[in-house]
Parts: sequence; structure tokens; C-alpha cells
Amino acid sequence: MSALDVRDLRVVYRRKGEPDRVALDSFTLKSDNEMLALLGPNGAGKSTLMGVIAQTISPESGERVSPVSRHGLSIVFQTPALDQLLTVRENLQISGALHGIPKGEIESRAVAICDELKISDRLDEQVRHLSGGLARRADLARALIPHPTLLLLDEPTSGLDIDARRSFWDSMQRIREHLGMTVLLATHLIDEAERADRVAMMAQGRCVLVDTPTRIRASLGERVLRIHTRNQEQIEPIMHWIRSHDREPHRIDQTIIVPDAQSIDVRSCPIDGVGLTIAPPTLEDAYSIRTNEGALI
Amino acid sequence: MSGFGAMKALAKRELIRQTRQPSRIIASVATPLMLWVFIVGGFSNAMGDVADAGTSLTAYTIPGMASLTVMFASIFASISLIQDRHDGVLRAALISPAPKWSIAMSKIGAGSLIALVQAIIVLLALPFLGVSLTPVGILGAIGALLCISVALIGVGLAMAWIVDSTQGFHGVMNALLMPMWLLSGAVFPVEDAAGWMRVIALLNPLTWSHAAMRGALGMSDAFNPFLAWGISAGFALFGAALGIWAISRSKKP
Repeated sequence: MSALDVRDLRVVYRRKGEPDRVALDSFTLKSDNEMLALLGPNGAGKSTLMGVIAQTISPESGERVSPVSRHGLSIVFQTPALDQLLTVRENLQISGALHGIPKGEIESRAVAICDELKISDRLDEQVRHLSGGLARRADLARALIPHPTLLLLDEPTSGLDIDARRSFWDSMQRIREHLGMTVLLATHLIDEAERADRVAMMAQGRCVLVDTPTRIRASLGERVLRIHTRNQEQIEPIMHWIRSHDREPHRIDQTIIVPDAQSIDVRSCPIDGVGLTIAPPTLEDAYSIRTNEGALI
Repeated sequence: MSGFGAMKALAKRELIRQTRQPSRIIASVATPLMLWVFIVGGFSNAMGDVADAGTSLTAYTIPGMASLTVMFASIFASISLIQDRHDGVLRAALISPAPKWSIAMSKIGAGSLIALVQAIIVLLALPFLGVSLTPVGILGAIGALLCISVALIGVGLAMAWIVDSTQGFHGVMNALLMPMWLLSGAVFPVEDAAGWMRVIALLNPLTWSHAAMRGALGMSDAFNPFLAWGISAGFALFGAALGIWAISRSKKP
């Protein structure tokens, strides 16, 4: 059985006096022993999916085949779920007790995990005295105490500076090598999604694409042309020019992205004064195209 | 899992938090003591002795001040649920395999222990005011105060589950608890009150907890002790059940 297996989920938020909002629709996802990134804009349904998996949100239809219980499940939230007045060790003891782990076992796990996360010298410090980055790592330790088979990371680095983010991901990498588990990461940061084994792109409650970052990039061809227009008047002639090359342009606001653009001669662009870049495709290109498909011309 | 381990760990957390916020203890004890000084200073000459045992107002109001101390401590205990929700600690607990009753019972257990320690400090004034404390009297007073704290923390947890802000929670709890306390025989004997007020007081479970406490301390025998203890215990059970039910049924955070 996969560590994560959800099928055909549908979640609708209903509020009096407001139109119903479909948060998840026909959502199916399976994952086992890998890091899978859920990449999507705000409101795409990432946190709702996390809630369904954690059993705090009940879907209207569909089924959650696994995880079947909360024993093998842990979550790292957008902000640390630690008691600020308690020390790191005391917080870890509570997390262990909530999962029914014996006292001695909690202590040995806490030491090993904090060693791995390089915070063992902070075990007896109150959380309120830690920096943001250290508090995130302490929160990761809290989530790892039960040795989960499925770890949910809900935008775990939001609000952290670049160094703290790098530190967090380095720690995460070490922990994954040691503990081996399925990690589901909800993010809207492309560079974080790049670290995952697979990426599931979400838009308007649906899963629009699941694949490895390499294959997603390769699906856009060898080169992608990005055209940054200055005004609305420039868009239509450029779209026409792209189509004349038998390519399908994708418009995101004032930017036009063209996959498989290696054969297009950018010098033949009919409009002056637009920003033209031709480069190997990135995950961001695929993300922009797939999550904006409803807005295409 | 049984949930007792989780309950113990969460209760220990509450106690640690208490020791690291001494201002909470000071506020819980100082407010009733100040109120006591002002009430006694203002009314003792006018009212003279109260109750059938001829107790002075100074001594008569001490059990009421102990229950007020418990009330403040109970508000602090239940308001911490809102704080936990904002900090994410509650979410982590709700997502864990620990049964939800253990979360409510840890708040009720630790909150009651803290409330009782503070209330006992207030009760220690009694021997200096002519009321001798016997072991049975102390145990009885602790029992009655325990009923009050369990009930109020339970009701407070249910309220904290519904109300999102600490300001809103304070407003609701003050509107509910202050009249309840004033009309419970805390500062004047309700058995001598005007008809309508007496009826309201008799419907108020806190009145019976005060009666049970004063009965145990030998300060009054105006109420049937079996009825007083029965209603007090029933109030505690109701409050605890309400708190556990509120946390167990909802998926709010």
C-alpha cells in the first residue's frame, strides 16, 4: 500500500450568503517513498488537500485509502507549532507523548534528530529565544519525533531568509537519507519544488500535471521563448507572429511563453521594444503555462 | 493509545507555562484580595455580622474570594486554548493520534490544580478571622472549589472553542461569570435576599458550591448539605462533559 493514496476527492466550502467554493475537484494522487511537491498558486487547494490527508477536513466525496491512521503522519505547518515558553526538549517530549512513544525512546530520538538537524546545543533553550530558522528546524524535529511514514510540509519555509531556507532544506535532505519516508510538500516556490522527486501542479482544486521536474521541463522542448510586452497593443501582433511559426503561444498577463521555440528567429519579431529571452525551459515556465490554462487567449 | 500519557504530558506543559508566567499567579490572587479589602472595608460597619452562625462579613466573604480566585484562574486556563490555536500547538495536538478528550482533560486537570493552590492561599486567612480550619473543613473547601474550577474551565473551553479572539472571550465570560458569582452568596447571604433575587440565586449552581464550602468550614448550615454537594458535583460533571464534547466534535482549527 502507498504511504499516500487519495482518490477522486471533492471538497466544497459552503458559507451562508456566499457562492460555494470548490477547493478540490476529482483530485487523485498517489505517492510512496519519495518527496512529492504540490505546486500551485494561493487558493489552488494545497492546504485543503493537507487537511483532508490529516483528517481535519472531511471530503464531500472520494476516498482516502491511506494514510489509514494518524500514527504514521506528521505535519510541519506554515508557522512553527511549538510552545514558545517551553524548551525545545520539552516540546519534543510532548510531541512524543501525543504519539504514545515511551519516555526513554523520546529522549534518544530527540537527541538523534536534533544532532542531524544541528540544533542539539539548543535542546534546553526556550523556543522564544531561537531565531526564525532555528525555530523551524526545531519544529521539523517535533514532526519527526514519531518517525512518520508520511510527512506533510505545508509551506514550511515561508517567512525565512535565504540562508535559513537553505539550512532547512539541507537538514531535510539529511533526515530523508536517514529516516526514509514519503514527504508531501505544499509550496508556491519553484526552487523548492525543484528539490522534489516529482511535482504535482495544482490549479483551481485540480491536479493538472504530475511528473518529475526533468520530464516536465523536457515537455517544453529544447528552448522556450519568453516575450515581455509593455502594453496590450503589442500582444495581438506578437501572438499572430508566433502562430505563423506553427507554435502555440501561452499568455500570462503581459508575458507570452512559447514552448519548442528553438526554430524561431527572434530577429523577425514584428514589434520593437519588447523583452525577448530564448533559453532552456524551466519548471516556472511549465508552472505558468499549466496553472494559467483557463486564462489563455 | 490510552490517552493518559498524552493528558499527563499536556497537563505538565500547562504547569510549566504557569511557572514561567508568574504575573498570572499574581493577577489571580491579587484581584480577589483587593476586592475583599474594598468590600469588607466598605460594608462591614453597615452590615455587621452575617449568616445564622454570626460570622463577621470579613470572614464570611473569604470563601467567595477563594471562588473568585478560582474563577480568574479558570478563565486563564480556558483562554489558553485560544492562544494554543493561534500558536499552532492545538493543531499539532488535534492531528496527533492522542484522543481529543485528553486535550480537554489536561486543561481541566492542570487548570484546577493551579486554581486550587491559589485559592488555598486565600482560605489561609480564615484562622486569623476567627474561623478554625479542621482537616475535614479544608478537604470540604478544596472539594467545593474543585467542583467550581472543573465546571468553569469546562464551560470556558467550550466558549473558547467558539470564540476566536481573546477579547471576545473575555467579554462573554465576564458577562456570564461576574453576575453568576455576585448572585451566589459570595459577598452576601442569598438566603436573606429579596424574593426574586433568592430564586435566581437558588438556580445558580455556584450558590450551592458556596453553600457546600461554608457548610464544610462550619460557617453556615442554611442549605441542605446533600443537595449542595449533589448540585456542585453535577455542575462539575456538566462543565467537564461540555468542554470535552466541544473539543471532540469540531474540526475548527
